[in-house]
Amino acid sequence: MNWTEKYRPKTLSEVIGNEDSKEKLVRWLVNWRSSNKYGALLTGPPGTGKTATVYALARDFGYHVIELNASDYRTAEKIMERLGFIAYGNTLETYITGKPRRILIFFDEIDGIDPKEDRGGLDAVIKIASKKSVPVIASANFIDPVKHKALIDNFEVIEYRRLTPKQIYVIIRRISELEGLDIDNEVLLEISTRSRGDARLAINMLYAVSVGGDINVVSNPLENMPLDMLLRRISSSSSQLEIKTLLDSNSNHWEDVLYTYFDIISRSPVMKLERRVELLEHLSILDVILGRIKKERAFYLMKYFTAILSWLVYQSNRWGAVYDGRIPEYRLYVFVLNRDVRAELDELLSGYRGRLHESRRKFIFDTVFVASLTNPQYENLLKWVAKIYGLEAAALKRVKQYGISKN
Amino acid sequence: MEYQRIRYGEPFQIRRRLGDLFRDIVRIKGVDYERGKGFIVRDYYALANLNKILIRMGLILTPMVECAICHRSVDCEKCNFTDVCLKDVSICLCDECLSSEDVVSRYLSVSRQSLDRYRKSTS
Repeated sequence: MNWTEKYRPKTLSEVIGNEDSKEKLVRWLVNWRSSNKYGALLTGPPGTGKTATVYALARDFGYHVIELNASDYRTAEKIMERLGFIAYGNTLETYITGKPRRILIFFDEIDGIDPKEDRGGLDAVIKIASKKSVPVIASANFIDPVKHKALIDNFEVIEYRRLTPKQIYVIIRRISELEGLDIDNEVLLEISTRSRGDARLAINMLYAVSVGGDINVVSNPLENMPLDMLLRRISSSSSQLEIKTLLDSNSNHWEDVLYTYFDIISRSPVMKLERRVELLEHLSILDVILGRIKKERAFYLMKYFTAILSWLVYQSNRWGAVYDGRIPEYRLYVFVLNRDVRAELDELLSGYRGRLHESRRKFIFDTVFVASLTNPQYENLLKWVAKIYGLEAAALKRVKQYGISKN
Repeated sequence: MEYQRIRYGEPFQIRRRLGDLFRDIVRIKGVDYERGKGFIVRDYYALANLNKILIRMGLILTPMVECAICHRSVDCEKCNFTDVCLKDVSICLCDECLSSEDVVSRYLSVSRQSLDRYRKSTS
């Protein structure tokens, strides 16, 4: 079992750190019916104990938690379908036993609900909480004061802060003692320092050390990788599980991975034609599924999407598709993560495109490419273009030397 | 770098000539100014934002921090973790308690007692 699950605090007193926030939450739960706020909203960075506090609190006060992850249930329709009966006090258990069960509704990651795009999702949460039939607690990593104003106005906002290294030390030392680990105190202090106030990260680092791993591997988490690094990792992986883990941790790049693999598969020189056709057929289906998921905001289906995509990447790798660092032109602009390069491109676009009477596309793919070779000012852009087109540095230098211009 | 200790919700004077920065400081959400009394910082985030301005003048405001176990004052400036800590909490651990053998059991025991006390007072 995962250590973050195994050592999840059983009672509130086991939740280390954020003592004042815990007390605020207890105070709210004791008086939730008479409170002028409908629910409690816990905000703070990941790994600070928001979810742990809710479960420990529920256990201490004898509540049964019904958890909804806002990534899965976003629209009013879906939320009411799942929770409407509870909000109105109708449960099967109440019907059979005649005694209402003490239920606590917990909306995790409520900041995942967009007030505009998710068709009344936030309003539904507030509506359920306003019935005051059960206590409602929500958690969020970040709350936008404008977008989530209704939530802030109607919920008691309780802030969670990053844990101090000393508090992290107590957490990992406790686990170390319970597991009977023989880990040097210096290592525990090092983990406390490196975990940046994130207890979950610290526990994972401790686990890595306990199995002989390196802290550095865990302290550089898989999340939010640059696209190029993600593509290199998944294309060189021979394990579907690893590919899926990488994809799950980088949800911002799913669409880019889909389109890049279309490019990789269709250009692959070694893959047999019938295999290429098979994979492209699957890709086109995935493309349609992704479009529908986005249109209908049915994000709970994403787990199937990543499962199929990871299988497709795995098969492509097995059948000889290779990511060579080339980025498809139609995804070109969004791929540029480097702010300096983007600023240079914007400067060029605003300065010259109008004067040359060229389309944005032609300007980026044709003129900028040549301009970058001739103008030493755009050194970063040159490197970027070289990478995109897979050109050798020496060839670029040669072209630059002879000063090729657009005309 | 000079450190100045403050308590949340209580007025204090900033030991620097602020000039034009005064306007920027009172614009921070959670920071108020009461004429004749001084500045009042309401929460941790306000303090962090205020420190972003004051650090340029060589001053860092730190909240009065108390040890969760022995309740003695904790000195953030002398802490080994001072460079990696956000110093935005009012309860932490002192070096003596942290280095004790039974730090975990003492922490849990104190936490249990204070929560029990709190629950009794609220119910």
